[in-house]
Amino acid sequence: MERKNVSSIDYLLLIPGVGFILLFIGSSIFITITQSFGVLSVTGKSQFTIENWKAIFHDKESLDSILFSLKIGLLSSVGTLLFAFPIALFLRKGGAGKRFLASLIKIPLFIPALVAAFLIINLISYHGIVNEALLALGIIKKPLRMLNDKFGWGVIVIQVWKNLPFVLLILSSSLASIRDDTIDAARNLGAGTFSVLFRIYVPLAMPGILVSMILMFIKAFGDFAIMSVAGPTYPPSIALRMRNTATLFQEWDKAAVLGVIIILTTLFITWLYSRLAEFVTGRK
Amino acid sequence: MVYGTLFSDPGENYKTLDIGREIMSRLILKDLVKKFDNVAAVNHVRLEVEEGEFVTLLGPSGCGKTTTLRTIAGFYQPDEGEIYFNDKLMNNIPPAKRNTSMCFQSYALFPHMNVWDNIAFGLKMRKIPQPEQKKRVAQALEMMSLSGMEKRMPGQLSGGQQQRVALARAIVTQPDILLFDEPLSNLDAKLRVQVRVEIKEMQKRLGITSIYVTHDQDEALAISDRIVVMNQGQIEQVGDPQSIYLHPMTSFVAGFIGLANILSGQVVARKENQVQLELPFGRFWAFAGGLRASVGDTVRFSFRPENVVQYREGGPNKVSVTIQHAIFMGDAIDLFLDAKGTRLRARAESTAKLKPGDLAVFSIDETAFQFLE
Repeated sequence: MERKNVSSIDYLLLIPGVGFILLFIGSSIFITITQSFGVLSVTGKSQFTIENWKAIFHDKESLDSILFSLKIGLLSSVGTLLFAFPIALFLRKGGAGKRFLASLIKIPLFIPALVAAFLIINLISYHGIVNEALLALGIIKKPLRMLNDKFGWGVIVIQVWKNLPFVLLILSSSLASIRDDTIDAARNLGAGTFSVLFRIYVPLAMPGILVSMILMFIKAFGDFAIMSVAGPTYPPSIALRMRNTATLFQEWDKAAVLGVIIILTTLFITWLYSRLAEFVTGRK
Repeated sequence: MVYGTLFSDPGENYKTLDIGREIMSRLILKDLVKKFDNVAAVNHVRLEVEEGEFVTLLGPSGCGKTTTLRTIAGFYQPDEGEIYFNDKLMNNIPPAKRNTSMCFQSYALFPHMNVWDNIAFGLKMRKIPQPEQKKRVAQALEMMSLSGMEKRMPGQLSGGQQQRVALARAIVTQPDILLFDEPLSNLDAKLRVQVRVEIKEMQKRLGITSIYVTHDQDEALAISDRIVVMNQGQIEQVGDPQSIYLHPMTSFVAGFIGLANILSGQVVARKENQVQLELPFGRFWAFAGGLRASVGDTVRFSFRPENVVQYREGGPNKVSVTIQHAIFMGDAIDLFLDAKGTRLRARAESTAKLKPGDLAVFSIDETAFQFLE
């Protein structure tokens, strides 16, 4: 492998880009972390303490909201993947209606999350289109509770609908890099549909699957807009809880603790998915 | 590891292999038609390949040779006609169940599997028990001089090594038929010549019926038991390499394989086994072979450049020419001649002193004329 010479000038050229990231993102993450321990606090006096952390972990509502957001994050990312992967496979192969389907699927990309949430609400609310249709057809006697439900199905449906095209883009480019010859070779050597899918497509698309799962998790886990419209009344999502803590209760340091938890969870899930991918593909 | 040593010790390497086996397959294509958007890529192809035979489909790109191969493998469904392996109709058998092995131009190794897993893939799919798998993969590795590379990923291998992994992966499953889709076109010229001999030797020892697709006539001549020359979806001629080269039956075959002077002229006389042909640059005697034409008919024929040589006392069919180009090739001089406005290709020995513009006398071997359909 050829190694290119990197001069000190090259590093200098990096300063505007990297410097910005370090200065603004780095410093705000740093302050969030210190604030969660009471240092550099904007409210009250600045003093090192672990009281904020203790308080959050003794607060049932905070714990519930962490678990709830975790659940929504995981189910949304897995759900989106389950819907997107077959579509991506279909689009790779082509066939009738490929162009139409491809453009149809991109529509949600142009709709902001909050608008998307309201659109879906029309469909799945207590007196929404789906319920009214089911009632009219006599399939159900009483409207189904699909919105603001305790489990969070409404949120998951909106997350999946909204993020499908985004995940599809990532998966499609991942699948496009798989050569047709590779698939033919597998079939020629005796692989049926199932084997081709799980021994060739999935492992080879794993980088894309991984990236889309992680990005989807981060979006859904920290989501504010969709949760506030379609989420259950209790528990609030972690982002909602954080907003309440900071602005309603004026407890900025405790909000910082929740912020740190969001960051740490995201990092942990990223790590977990990578391990999972290694396990599935059997390589490092 | 030197590629050249690959099969240099035939007896020893092959004795331990039970990859070659008695069950072999005849391949029969009956009136095969494959259309794409209503255009026939393969147009009524009829072919029988004997057990253990090495048959090459040769032709320019777009002639239908690869489509034929992929239809045999099952990647395409024929629109008409039948494919038989021995007596078994294969038309509706999916590729995974056909027990063919294909070597791809791109090698098509699985990039996420190491060498061992690549070779073992077909055995895993066939649910061969683990110990048997290990034994067979180890044998294939040894046969292809790949021992010690089991853990390498395809990306870490050279083109030649990838080729060997692809071959190992193809033979380890004991296929009924081996299919080659231009497997050598990604190798450099020297390696290509070496590997084609090795593929041929391997095939003969294992005795697996093989179909080989190439556009390279040298490769086809070197490697095949029989050559099927294809053009525009149809078979032009089938024969062993010698007869294809020496006795082309159509102008396409004459022109595609080797160099040829393809001309037409009128039969002006006939005696015993010879005909006299009228050409713009003179009258020439030629052996008629099976030619049925009678005096007055116009016929098409070809002769090779190596049959047009400098005239010597008593030589046949004299023709006066002007040298247009003389290209020194090392082992011979390639000549472009002008015979009263007709361009002829000819050969001269590499020691000959011929320059463009020279006037010279050449002679055409009367046995060299091949009459075309």
